[in-house]
Amino acid sequence: MSDPVLSCEGLTRHFPSGTALDGLTLDARAGEVLALLGPNGAGKTTTMRLLNGVLSPDAGTATVLGLNPWRQGEELRARTGVLTENAGLDERLTALENLTFVARVRGMDPEAARPRAMELLERFGMAHRADVRVQGFSTGQRKRVALARALLHDPELLFLDEPTSGLDPVATRDVVELIGSLAAEHGRTVVLCTHFLGEAGRLASRMAVLFSGHLHAFGTPEELAGELWSGVEVRLDLGHQADGDLLRTLTGLTHVVQCVPVEQGLLARVTSRDAVPSLVAACVAAGKSVYAAEPRQPSLEDVYFEIEARSARLGPTGDLPGVHR
Amino acid sequence: MNWTVIRALLARDLGMIRRSRALMLPMLFLPTLLLVVLPAAIGLSARERTLDVETFVNMLPESIAEPVLSAPPEERLIILVLGYMVAPLFLIVPLMVSSVLAADTFAGEKERKTLETLLHLPVSDRDLYVAKLLSTFVPSTAVAWVGFVVFCVVSNVVCWPVMGRVFIPTRTWMLVIFWLAPAVAALGLGVMVRVSLRVENTQEAQQLGGAVVLPMVVVAVGQTTGLLLAGPVVTVVVGLVVWLIAGTLNWRGMRAYRRNTMAARL
Repeated sequence: MSDPVLSCEGLTRHFPSGTALDGLTLDARAGEVLALLGPNGAGKTTTMRLLNGVLSPDAGTATVLGLNPWRQGEELRARTGVLTENAGLDERLTALENLTFVARVRGMDPEAARPRAMELLERFGMAHRADVRVQGFSTGQRKRVALARALLHDPELLFLDEPTSGLDPVATRDVVELIGSLAAEHGRTVVLCTHFLGEAGRLASRMAVLFSGHLHAFGTPEELAGELWSGVEVRLDLGHQADGDLLRTLTGLTHVVQCVPVEQGLLARVTSRDAVPSLVAACVAAGKSVYAAEPRQPSLEDVYFEIEARSARLGPTGDLPGVHR
Repeated sequence: MNWTVIRALLARDLGMIRRSRALMLPMLFLPTLLLVVLPAAIGLSARERTLDVETFVNMLPESIAEPVLSAPPEERLIILVLGYMVAPLFLIVPLMVSSVLAADTFAGEKERKTLETLLHLPVSDRDLYVAKLLSTFVPSTAVAWVGFVVFCVVSNVVCWPVMGRVFIPTRTWMLVIFWLAPAVAALGLGVMVRVSLRVENTQEAQQLGGAVVLPMVVVAVGQTTGLLLAGPVVTVVVGLVVWLIAGTLNWRGMRAYRRNTMAARL
């Protein structure tokens, strides 16, 4: 396994309004997309600001691209690209000027900066508006220009805060594919702060779930699901909702953990995939017709909402998946 | 200091000022009124001899009245108004322009939601602060200097039939404009940039900053005519004092500015 591009331990930051982040410990490897998930106020943006050396922590340590973000912030920021939640474009400048300004600040050769900026605007479908002031741009257009700006200097590490919010479905698909290709083909590491679980599910190899500044889960969706639930969920299509007798019969079987009725049958949790045939056989033996039996992997949404529900029950110090205290 | 970065930030800020009506209008309106319309009106009045200033001059302290009354009667209005009374305006203009622009520096970035982008760039705290100071200082001083050149041209041209000579600038005038006016601009921005750092938007910065800058305007108005009468040495000394205060304020502001503090207020 490669060395982490980014790692932090016990990262804590308080504001007068309260604690934004409390003891965050995580890491990201080269070429990985790490999703920071959580509702508004969870601490995702604070994490991003801390790791890019914009905010200093009250406690904790971090190493990003081999650098200390708070002592070597300038050097670090020269190698990272950031897309903030608000695109943060200068409205009085044109799209191209917004990019060439950042290129100048980043010390890029002006001769090389303009074609590079145009290439990126082209890639994000904004070349036709390169010389138009940003003032009249839609949210999606701004986001695309801001993404182009974040990629201008070909950064090794990208912090993307809600990259697809405000984008139409086509642009969303393009951006998601681009982020995926940056990590998979170009070996760039991406820290993705998002509300959109579908997007995170498609892109992220690991996820860190934050609630109110506390890390509640950290790992791959499969690892987290494995720690949240034992066994495999199976959906049986019986053509009608399962009755109480059948549920009692199935629950009595050795490999069945749980059974709940659903509209066209039942959802059962069994200890492994190998238990599915005996489950089906038991239904048939009980005189039921089984039209389909579908083992189902939990989705990222399932994992996220389960973590959210357990977090609400257990609180920040409860025993949650992937977080080893 | 990284001057490539500072130049890039400065070029962007100056470009944005040029494109902002809200900033350009106050920058142009007041100087035009004070430095073009006023001297033209005074010059024309002097030609028509419609105003008699003797009664007014006799009520002034002797130090001011004497140089005016020693001039021929037809020149007295011009010397009184354009030679002495207009002088404070040349300090109000840079002070006002620097206040308007400085209010927009950090508070404006915050308001336009561009500050976070700046903070995520590889720019040191000091370079960012210096660039913001310069983006205020350069235009406010430029407005004062260009305004003065225009004022001299308009005054001498309009008043030529009465004066028959180039009567401004004098050596003291030059010192006021090229030594004292930039110092006053630096003083204004030393206050206003720090105010702009602490507030949420430009309007708040202007209101809060106005409370600080207004007394400075009053002092400038009260003292500048006196400087012209006191002569070049006193002007140089006063300028030095203002520069020292402005330098201290700006140095302390630069030392106190921290990216972390700004980011915490986002």
